[in-house]
Amino acid sequence: MTSNEQFALVAKNISKTFHITEDNHNTVKHRLFNLFNPPRRKEIEAIKMVSLEIKKGECVGLIGRNGCGKSTLVKLLAGVYPTDTGYLKINGTTMLMNLGVGMSHELTARENIYVSASVLGLKIKEVDKIFDKIIDFAELRDMVDTKIKYFSSGMVARLGFSIAVNAGADIMFLDEIFAVGDMKFQEKAIKVFESSWIEGKTVVLVSHSMEVVRKYCSRAGFMKNGEMKFFGDKETAIQMYLEDNQ
Amino acid sequence: MTTGILKDWTSRSNKIERIWLLAKIEFKLRYYESKLGLFWALLKPVLDIIIYYIGFKIILKSDIPAFASYLFVGFLFWIFFTESTGGTINILESKRHLYEYSNMNKLEIYISTLLSTAIGFFFNFIMFLLFYFLLEPESKPLGINMIYVAPLFLNVYILGLAFSLILSNLFIMAKDIRQIWQVFVNFLFFVSPLFFKLSDFRAAVPGLDYVNPVAGIIINARRAILDNEPPDWPLFYFDFAYSIFFLLVGLILLNKLGKKAAEKL
Repeated sequence: MTSNEQFALVAKNISKTFHITEDNHNTVKHRLFNLFNPPRRKEIEAIKMVSLEIKKGECVGLIGRNGCGKSTLVKLLAGVYPTDTGYLKINGTTMLMNLGVGMSHELTARENIYVSASVLGLKIKEVDKIFDKIIDFAELRDMVDTKIKYFSSGMVARLGFSIAVNAGADIMFLDEIFAVGDMKFQEKAIKVFESSWIEGKTVVLVSHSMEVVRKYCSRAGFMKNGEMKFFGDKETAIQMYLEDNQ
Repeated sequence: MTTGILKDWTSRSNKIERIWLLAKIEFKLRYYESKLGLFWALLKPVLDIIIYYIGFKIILKSDIPAFASYLFVGFLFWIFFTESTGGTINILESKRHLYEYSNMNKLEIYISTLLSTAIGFFFNFIMFLLFYFLLEPESKPLGINMIYVAPLFLNVYILGLAFSLILSNLFIMAKDIRQIWQVFVNFLFFVSPLFFKLSDFRAAVPGLDYVNPVAGIIINARRAILDNEPPDWPLFYFDFAYSIFFLLVGLILLNKLGKKAAEKL
């Protein structure tokens, strides 16, 4: 195994700046009429020169106050947003999970399971094997052939979490997932984490719960104003976050 | 050795399975969600043909032999081209759930969506064959040159994919590309030999069959299906080169603009 292969993620000096315009000229007509009146631009440096390496099978926590760039960093690392600078190597399929995973509201629960699991790299035969497990875990047995646009937001979130847990990508990004579902489902979600599910998977966990980070992560990163202030020992990262909150 | 590598790649990767799954679901969404469903997809070209038949054969007394079949072959390819281009302008917006939460290759979304349009083409082609043999009074037996329908379809598929990539990626920057394309397609419709006699078409604007890539594909498809003649080879090769050139432009745009789709759309 070469040094690059033992890492699930390698990022060197990656950054991301959002160019926000006050009036968005997104039609040809607007662009022509406002040729000499360009919209006022604002630049937001969401991520500033972050470097990190995450080994395969490692669970890493990301902590920081609201708006510090955690979710943007996760989107960069998952390959959803392109980076502006630096080098990023992603070894494997990624799955980003916040309040829902990529599901189409026009499709039924069954179709969404097949599509999502297939996007995550599973073959149809493999999905057939875990299909019942996904449906039962999400507690959606009676709604399997119903379009998810008729589901409640909690039901959609449960289905997403169940797909994530049972199908899983090589690298999972879990952004505040413990906020999903009712209390009963949250207990179930925690049980999944307590079981051996997490072992062998590369997980990047965004959480405001220090208890969760302490319990499941081997290392953690503390972010502030788009910068990775510290990346390494979880207790140090937690300490920095707690001090920042005072 | 090449086939060995290909076999190994397909058995380990689920790419082909996934593209086919997405194509099937897209086809179902498109044709099974409405009241008329697939029936409408089959009826649409027939209705188009009836309209133009009335206009050009009955009123304008066109002297093209087997005119209904002449129209049918043209419309088969024309409908595929317009559906795969105009119908996919907002594909990166409507299919964002596929790439917003994972690092799935966006090109697969295009290939599968066009594949679902290809299933529609396949059904329409069967409709044409039924029409040609059961209803067309001037039909001739199909010959060996019919095999050229396969490369011609591949050509229109590449062309459709190329323009789908170009338009949908420009859509990220300018939403009204949709209206501009509608006008352009209207123009293209009248500069394609859909209902004109080929000799008149060529005499009116020499070289137009080369400038308009859809025209060349339609001309060659009629030669292969209706006249049992091999394609007009210079036109055939030119159209392939044309499509591949635009495909490269589309891929460059996907690479440059497509990666910003998640944040811009």
